[in-house]
Amino acid sequence: MTIAIEARNVVFSFGQTPALRGASIAVDSGEIVAIMGASGSGKSTLLHCLAGILVPDSGEVLFDGARVDSMTEARRSSLRRDRFGFVFQFGQLVPELTTAENVALPLLLNGTRRAEALRKAHGWFERLGLEGLEHRRSGELSGGQAQRVALARGLVTGPEVLFADEPTGALDSLTGEQVMDLLVTAARAQGTTVILVTHEPRVAAYADREVIVRDGRVNAPDRIAS
Amino acid sequence: MIRFGLRLAVAGGREALTRLIIIATSVAVGAGLLLVTLAGLNAVNGQLTRYASLYPSPSAEGIGDPLWWSTREDYFRGEQIVRVDVAASGPGSPTPVGVPTTPGPGEYYVSPALTELLEATPAAELADRYPGRSLGTIGDAALPSPDALVVIVGHTVDDAAALPNVRQLTSVGADTPALPETVVDLIVGVIAGGLLFPVLIFIGTATRLSAARREHRFAAMRLVGATPRQISIIAATEAAVAAVAGTALGFALFYAFRGQLAAIPFTGMRFFPGDMFLRPLDVLVVALGVPTGAALAAWVSLRRVRISPLGVTRRVTPRPPRAYRLIPLVLGVAELAYFIGRRPVTSDGQTAAFLPGLLLIMAGLVLAGPWLTMVGARVLANRARRPAALIAARRLADNPKAGFRAISGIMLALFVTSVSIGVITTIVANRGPAQVGSTDAATLSTGLSDDELSVPDSLLVELRSIPGVRSATAVHRNPDRMADPGVLACTDIPAAYGRCADGATVAAVAHNFIPFRESASATRVWPAAPVPLDDVQRLPVASIVVGTDGSAASLERSRTVLSRAYPDFWSAPSVPGEFESSFADQLRGWQQLANVIIVASLGLAGCSLAVSVVGGLSERRRPFSLLRLSGAPVRVLRRVVALESTVPMLAVAVVAIGMGFVAAQLFLKAQMDYMLTAPGPEFYAIVIVGLAACLGIIASTLPVLERITGPETARSE
Repeated sequence: MTIAIEARNVVFSFGQTPALRGASIAVDSGEIVAIMGASGSGKSTLLHCLAGILVPDSGEVLFDGARVDSMTEARRSSLRRDRFGFVFQFGQLVPELTTAENVALPLLLNGTRRAEALRKAHGWFERLGLEGLEHRRSGELSGGQAQRVALARGLVTGPEVLFADEPTGALDSLTGEQVMDLLVTAARAQGTTVILVTHEPRVAAYADREVIVRDGRVNAPDRIAS
Repeated sequence: MIRFGLRLAVAGGREALTRLIIIATSVAVGAGLLLVTLAGLNAVNGQLTRYASLYPSPSAEGIGDPLWWSTREDYFRGEQIVRVDVAASGPGSPTPVGVPTTPGPGEYYVSPALTELLEATPAAELADRYPGRSLGTIGDAALPSPDALVVIVGHTVDDAAALPNVRQLTSVGADTPALPETVVDLIVGVIAGGLLFPVLIFIGTATRLSAARREHRFAAMRLVGATPRQISIIAATEAAVAAVAGTALGFALFYAFRGQLAAIPFTGMRFFPGDMFLRPLDVLVVALGVPTGAALAAWVSLRRVRISPLGVTRRVTPRPPRAYRLIPLVLGVAELAYFIGRRPVTSDGQTAAFLPGLLLIMAGLVLAGPWLTMVGARVLANRARRPAALIAARRLADNPKAGFRAISGIMLALFVTSVSIGVITTIVANRGPAQVGSTDAATLSTGLSDDELSVPDSLLVELRSIPGVRSATAVHRNPDRMADPGVLACTDIPAAYGRCADGATVAAVAHNFIPFRESASATRVWPAAPVPLDDVQRLPVASIVVGTDGSAASLERSRTVLSRAYPDFWSAPSVPGEFESSFADQLRGWQQLANVIIVASLGLAGCSLAVSVVGGLSERRRPFSLLRLSGAPVRVLRRVVALESTVPMLAVAVVAIGMGFVAAQLFLKAQMDYMLTAPGPEFYAIVIVGLAACLGIIASTLPVLERITGPETARSE
């Protein structure tokens, strides 16, 4: 297996408050990893550093052999847009757009023609059991439906890594499980690496591997690249 | 609960205080502009009334010692001089306003601006028109503007009684303005409609700032037991506190800059500082109305959302506006079109005919605006290829009323000003002064009364001796009333104005050698007149025509010589178009006012849009942040914001200006049988400047976008 993405001794502080104190993690291609930890442990910060959203104070983040932490904001944006996908806890759909347009949005941002983007988006509605909801607005969807639309949006570009930050945090357990089933199935079908932040063991159980973040460090990292 | 609301507003932490300051500042700008508008209306009204009081209505004759009064217009280098000739008939005669005593024969008073002009100009060009001595300057109370050129000349009663347009006054200063009140009201209404509406929209928009954040706070209060009524009171109190502070600041700004504002020639003439005053009712309306309005706006905006203890129930897609909103617009256009060829005879009838049509179109534009916005946005959404255009178009199509609200002010302002400028430009083009450098512009003429049997040769010799004068001709009255009004021996026609028909000895000519609505021409052939050559000199003199090289000095010296020779002129010696151009100048003053309204209303619309942009960003803070974190470039989000505000604004500008020109064309065709003359480039330049100011204000909000869509928003709130 090849390493898809990796963090080495990442340190990050919010002002005077340290969030990560030398966290290290390596994730293989196609692997699904759950990052767990208590509130305030630094798990979301680690995900944001891996995704190039935050730049660590020190340490390295590597993706496909390149140092993400030393890239310009423009390059990191491009990376997130073209090669990563995201699913957040809630509120990620643009309220004015239809669900189909929301799913097509990353493709449109990449410069895909509108008709082509919508055609690809529609393909995901069938796969995620969202048929008939293409023309609804986000305000007209249930929480589970909105998260499935967000999942489709996160996967529509065929990303190499999908970052999911508490993707079921706002859902009841049954709906959460349905969303996780779909997420894992779709990711495996595409060979997408998934880095999942959760504090729910039932959600973490969908992953190939769990790592625990405690006090800004990753406990028992099972593999660090030499 | 009010006290609690007050505490939340002023001591609710940094965010609440910042919100309070922003809203108060916005309201201050709005209230300040509102005060300027109201004071400007008073100033315009005062200026119009003082101008009108130079043309007083006659009192009933045979009472006491009347003041004899005659007002005529004279000209100097294209500027109008108002000449008032007066004579006191006895000790009980009223004294003209603005001067300490009624000037006697050989005495006169001049306005400060005319005093300066007299001092800076050779006497032969101007001062010699007023023989005698100056008693001093005319006070502000009698002058429309500090720039007004006015002279009050004293006479004996006999001399004054012989002047044209003379009237007897038993009181002065309490006259009803000669301008009909409805005209003043109409002008004032145009200003009010053009500027007040955008100001009120802006104030209303400003008070809704941060509504989304506020609503979440209210939801938290509901959770701990606050009733909807209590929430409404708190919201109204918060809004009123900001509005009271803003209104107070607005008053301070107004009084701080009142003097400077008066010096701006909004109507083409400056105001006196005292003109920009507020009536007690104005003060009361703003001081009470703005905070009350703000409280009501906050209450109404809360009624649109249901705040439950579990949060704010967001608006679902509102019902789209329907096409019936176009009906008033269509009716208004149809009404104006109906009167083409059916113009009512009386001015009251004309007002009754045209005003409803214009008002219908104005109401129709405001009513149809959301529907037009929706249709335009849907078209854009269906054709959008880029995500920014798609998001912006969907948002506008989703809630076109909200999208249109912030720009409804400019729609009215641009419509009103386009109608005004379209009408003014056309009238000015049809009645403007002669073209500089043309023979017309070098020709001075004066009409004489019927009993003027001859012109002294010495006068013609004196005129011809003025440097730059090429000809001085006395044109005799044509006994044939159906032909051109003048007759002249063919040998006396100056070459610059044409020649006689072959074989003729006497020609029928225009009184100034320039036929109506035509220009002077050296190749013109005047028709023969059936008057024996020997009889021409025995006919009364109709006019004296002076042909010059076009220089200001030769024209003004000639005018001065003629004014002294014929002091009882009905209309002053003038260059073609000068009489009309004074009216055109007045119209140009209104054009300038219209330009001010355009820039001010667009600036205000920019402020309203900026507030809407900030409000819209707050509402979509999370999805926008997460889009940005997912790799969407900030420029895409910037484009969304820019498109959401500029596309409807530009579309509205085009529709409003287009409708304005359509309405102007219909009015001009029906009322004057003119075809609309397209406004000059300065109109479009003004609109572009206004739009640029508006866009600049919108652009100033863009840094907010970057600030509120930072990575911290990705963390679950």
